[in-house]
Amino acid sequence: MEAEVVESEMVLPTHLRFKRIQMYEKYPKGQSRGRHWKHLKQILQAENFQNYRPNEPHYVNIESPPSMHPCKRICDITGYEAPYFDPRTNLRYANAEVFKIIRSLPNDYVQRYLALRNAAVVLK
Amino acid sequence: MPFISRTIRQSDYSRFPSTCPIVIDNGGSYFRIGWAGETDPRLVFRNIVLRPRHKTTGETVTIVGDQDPTLLRYFDCTRSGPRSAFDNNVVYQFEIMEYILDFGFDRMGVDGSQCMPSFFLEITAFGVDAAFSYKYNQQLGVCDKDGLAICSGFATSHVIPIKVDHEISRFTWEKVEDLKMEHCYIAPDYASEVRLFQKGTKEAKEKTRCWQLPWVPPPTEEPPSEDEIARKAAIKERQGQRLREMAEAKRSSRINELENQLQGFEFLLQQLAYVQESDVPSFLAKGEQVESESKADPSTTEKFPLVNIPDEMLTPEQLKEKRKQLFLKTTTEGRQRAKQKRFEEEMERERQNQQDEEKRLENPELYLEQLRAKYKELSEKVEQRKCLKINGGSTNGNHNVSGGVGRGERLNAAQNERMRLLTTAAFDRGKGPDEDEAELARVTSRLQDIDPKFVPKSELGPLQSSTEVPWLRPMTKEDFQIVLGVERFRCPEILFQPNLIGINQAGLDEMVGVSLRRLPSKVEGLEERLTSNVFLTGGSSLYPGMSERLEAGIRMIRPCGSPIKIVKAYDPVFDAWRAAAAYAASLQFPQQTFTRMDYYEKGEDWLHRYQFKYSL
Repeated sequence: MEAEVVESEMVLPTHLRFKRIQMYEKYPKGQSRGRHWKHLKQILQAENFQNYRPNEPHYVNIESPPSMHPCKRICDITGYEAPYFDPRTNLRYANAEVFKIIRSLPNDYVQRYLALRNAAVVLK
Repeated sequence: MPFISRTIRQSDYSRFPSTCPIVIDNGGSYFRIGWAGETDPRLVFRNIVLRPRHKTTGETVTIVGDQDPTLLRYFDCTRSGPRSAFDNNVVYQFEIMEYILDFGFDRMGVDGSQCMPSFFLEITAFGVDAAFSYKYNQQLGVCDKDGLAICSGFATSHVIPIKVDHEISRFTWEKVEDLKMEHCYIAPDYASEVRLFQKGTKEAKEKTRCWQLPWVPPPTEEPPSEDEIARKAAIKERQGQRLREMAEAKRSSRINELENQLQGFEFLLQQLAYVQESDVPSFLAKGEQVESESKADPSTTEKFPLVNIPDEMLTPEQLKEKRKQLFLKTTTEGRQRAKQKRFEEEMERERQNQQDEEKRLENPELYLEQLRAKYKELSEKVEQRKCLKINGGSTNGNHNVSGGVGRGERLNAAQNERMRLLTTAAFDRGKGPDEDEAELARVTSRLQDIDPKFVPKSELGPLQSSTEVPWLRPMTKEDFQIVLGVERFRCPEILFQPNLIGINQAGLDEMVGVSLRRLPSKVEGLEERLTSNVFLTGGSSLYPGMSERLEAGIRMIRPCGSPIKIVKAYDPVFDAWRAAAAYAASLQFPQQTFTRMDYYEKGEDWLHRYQFKYSL
């Protein structure tokens, strides 16, 4: 290790005195460790929320309901108000100049813009 | 305001008695740890873990928090980026969490000395950061007894109605009516959030701590300020001056050239007068070229003597000769004609250039503008055609690392795209007229000649800054600037309109309404009391203009004239930690904690039923 790296102590030491089981013992090298952690969706699915009392708040039932206001249409490229909509790419645009840009975008960019809005077509 | 981490190793660990709790605020973005009873956490660092490989030794190391980027050059960080233990505000990657905790404790000076085993008291208590923050500020006199706490974290926001229960006989935390928290999911560029029921006790080691859920202020960038604008104006002036000087210099050099030419012609004239007086009129009419042509003409007629003789009078060999000569003659004539045409074209171009020059000399700036406009049009056309050519084709593997909306990030991808286009298009000139591209090249070179500041389109940054929203800014090629105009308020707008990113949920102001509606008991005047005491906390509440916007939003939903008062936390980022520290140092704390043994005995379900109540 280079001197300045050691001096700055940025690296986590492998052996820590206050731990009963060190990290390298718990997760031996070479084993795949990332795969056995459940993601949030899986955790939520594993919980049976029906078993809880109905009045008790828990993670899922405190989610906010969908909005009552009509959705504001904003241009996907510039961020201005966008009354128009391109049927070919499904992007919203604010004026003709932006439209020119949209039509010249490669498909990849179009998908990324749509994904920002959660409107991309996801093929599984 | 950028946030600075504090990660200096603490050395006074041994000073603290073993019963003193360590207070941890485990936020999605920053991790705060410190001793109970103090006013500030000892350590603050970003809640991420980086596991790069050391370049020379090849071993994989673990680095917690954000570190000095210059030191990172010794490591190969390409294999995996910084990872967070959170997934939308719930800790799920416990290994990463463990690394972070290790780091935290290590820096706190925890060592293996004797008090450690007793320190493994495994007493834990949960608290909701917003409620903590609320209480703390209450003590500061910032807000009254009842109120609505809105805390905006990194990815979630909560709206909590808080009401003081007048029966203070019970010591445990009491949930106000039903403590409903409403999440609205925000997706900004940064990590971290706030979660209520944290199941983090599954880890092997539990020390005395108070888990809390923090938040972090996201940094906002400034657009170019006034001195930038002044600097640009100065540059423009200098540029105009330079152009004028160059125009002068060019004009004088051109005058010299013309004079030289004139002298040359005169000399030639004199020469010709002696050589061929018969050819003078034709010579004067056509200039120098005709001289060579007329010199060539006698030679052609000499070379092809047989051409003009009719066929019948020739012998077969002579006929063959004649055919050859005819062929040669036509080719030479063709060549001459081509030369003539080229010459004429050149003259034409020269004339145009001269006109251009004159225009330029008259008014350099205007000329430049026109030229730039023409360049822009041409380049757009060419680019469009090129894009269409390869549209739908494979991409160049460039990925935007950050999910940000800023156009600055597209700069690299666009640059690479253009390079690729140029290299492929150079070999593929099939479609589209070439004249446009030739014209483009000409205009580019011209611009590069005259305009010292001109840079070809591919290297330029996006639009200039402006602060007005609906006004479209014209494209300029002035500076390399990454401009945040609309994005500055477009990003936090997501808090109020999650529809912008496709999340079909209500915004913050609507949530307040929903939260109030969900209160079960219709105690008289409760809603008024709550809205007159809205408490803002959390990192996202540091956005300027947040309280005004929220007030306007709430006013829209409440009946006209109802009292609305919005208060901000004294320090939205650290208050939760401070309150928890104070709480941990208070006398009731040991009774309100539960130990690891409890958890093992009674299991997870018990944890759920363990009533989290808030007593303020």
